[in-house]
Amino acid sequence: MSTQNGIVIRLDHVSRVYQVGESEVRALDDVSLDIAAGEFAAIMGPSGSGKSTMLNVLGCLDTPTSGSYVLDGEPVEKLSEDRLAEVRQKKIGFIFQAYHLVGRMTAMRNVELPMIFAGVEPRVRRDKVRAALEAVGLARRMTHRPDQLSGGERQRVAIARAMVMEPRILLADEPTGNLDTRSGEEIVALLERLNAAGLTLVLVTHDPRVAEHSRRVLRMRDGRIVTE
Amino acid sequence: MRRPDLIQLAFESLRLHRLRTGLTLGAIAIGVTAVLLLTALGDAAKGYVVKEFAGVGTNLVIVVPGKVETSGGMPAFGGSTRDLTLEDCDAVLRQSSVVRQVAPFSLGAGAIEYGEKSRDVRVIGTTAPFLDVRKLTISSGQFLPPGDPRQGDRVVVLGQKVARELFQGENPLGRLVRIAQWRFRVIGVLGPKGTSIGIDYDDLILIPVSVGLKMFNQTGLFRIMVEAASPEAVPMALEQVKAVLIARHDDDEDFTLITQDAMLKTFSAVIDALTAGLAGIAAISLAVAGIGIMNVMLVSVSERTGEVGLLKALGARRRQILDVFLVEAMMLSTAGAAVGVAVGVIVILIAAGIWTFIPLKPSPGWIALVITLAVVAGVSFGLMPARRAARLDAAEALRGRH
Repeated sequence: MSTQNGIVIRLDHVSRVYQVGESEVRALDDVSLDIAAGEFAAIMGPSGSGKSTMLNVLGCLDTPTSGSYVLDGEPVEKLSEDRLAEVRQKKIGFIFQAYHLVGRMTAMRNVELPMIFAGVEPRVRRDKVRAALEAVGLARRMTHRPDQLSGGERQRVAIARAMVMEPRILLADEPTGNLDTRSGEEIVALLERLNAAGLTLVLVTHDPRVAEHSRRVLRMRDGRIVTE
Repeated sequence: MRRPDLIQLAFESLRLHRLRTGLTLGAIAIGVTAVLLLTALGDAAKGYVVKEFAGVGTNLVIVVPGKVETSGGMPAFGGSTRDLTLEDCDAVLRQSSVVRQVAPFSLGAGAIEYGEKSRDVRVIGTTAPFLDVRKLTISSGQFLPPGDPRQGDRVVVLGQKVARELFQGENPLGRLVRIAQWRFRVIGVLGPKGTSIGIDYDDLILIPVSVGLKMFNQTGLFRIMVEAASPEAVPMALEQVKAVLIARHDDDEDFTLITQDAMLKTFSAVIDALTAGLAGIAAISLAVAGIGIMNVMLVSVSERTGEVGLLKALGARRRQILDVFLVEAMMLSTAGAAVGVAVGVIVILIAAGIWTFIPLKPSPGWIALVITLAVVAGVSFGLMPARRAARLDAAEALRGRH
């Protein structure tokens, strides 16, 4: 394993329990996990195995019921909702299967969104948006709205948006799930490039061919990591 | 988060649903216009009444025979009510230090005839000070001559309209007319005055009070008009007049004193209450529009659940999400108020142009109030949906559940 300093994600006996009616659902069951800076990890497993909960906890969208989570040296399991929002803003980028682009906004505007909520100066924003879209190869699609873009292009806009705040970690939830094979491969190649440049990448996928690209595959079942 | 960014985000979202935005905005605009129109009407009614009373004379105390009880109603009848007489007038003028002038006022009605023409008019019997006390003017000839009120020649001063219709361009001065079969000589014509507290001064005639009492076989006066030395002296004049008349009427207060101020206050209070009532009714339509805002915002929040989840994932704080939706609601209500004010002011100005006798005008006070109301409605009705958005669970919202 990596040294203490190189670890960006450390889960220590983390559980996440939901109360569904009378019964308890242990979506995460005593999970311990270290992910080092610059790693590319894929999480696989059948639906209901806790992949999404894992990603939500890692992305500070959900908090563990018990256990501790140290993100980039900072314990986050006890932070307030607003402090968690700040952590997401500065350290984490998200991409989703359904892209989650805002339909009424152009590609540029979508990429600008995280910086708007971070209170970044408009002039700085403009330069960064341009750079981020150029980096994903969409220099000539900047003023298009999502419905004028292909699925692969939409996911690239989403990646540009996730990267524009320069996060340490990129969390991807089935990023190729809605794409044809070729577009999917392009997206994976793009993610690999970002990873090669030093970004820590955690990716949830059903697709073994996508998982092959990662250097580490975590298989989940019933809220536990069963194999590595 | 920067304010221009908030406004731009809200604008982008409102622009997307033009019809929905337009309808909500229209509802608010209608409410605002209604408030403005109704309050302008109320203000105009008040302005009209105030103008009427200003023409009565601000120093005026009017003595009416009979005591009007505080419970209201008619002056009491029966032996206890004594007539107001010319002697009462003299006593008031002599014994009250702050009374400047006194004018007796008798009232009758009869036909005035000149040649073939005849016209039914009100006949006021009075004395020379009446001209000044009632703030009348003379357009030709002279008013009733000063002198002992118990004496009087058969002379008459005509109102504008009476002179015009009876003489039709002919000079009435010095002509003889018949009033209720009595012969009178025309000595003057009043300047235009119009209607003042229910009496049309253009459509009446004035004769010496002694002649009037005799002609209509009256023993008492209809009114005594007392002019105080100044508006400030009115309360003291009231006391003095009261004391003098009570002493003369065997210690009995069988008369009523009316001041212009008291009448004006009563009318103003009634009209203010009416205006407030109208404004209240109109404000209900604003409240309804506010509920419309709430509905639109609730729909918007549930449509944009995924977007809220995304914004949270991107690092938006609860407060920022709240602001985004609240600013949308505020922009809706403010734009609605602006449209409503514009329409209201235009309608008021057009109406004022058509009905020039009503002092209709847009009031900055009401406009400020109604805009404030609309914005407050926007915020308060927008708050609940905005809170709902801000409290959405990010992970669930991203999955499109709520």
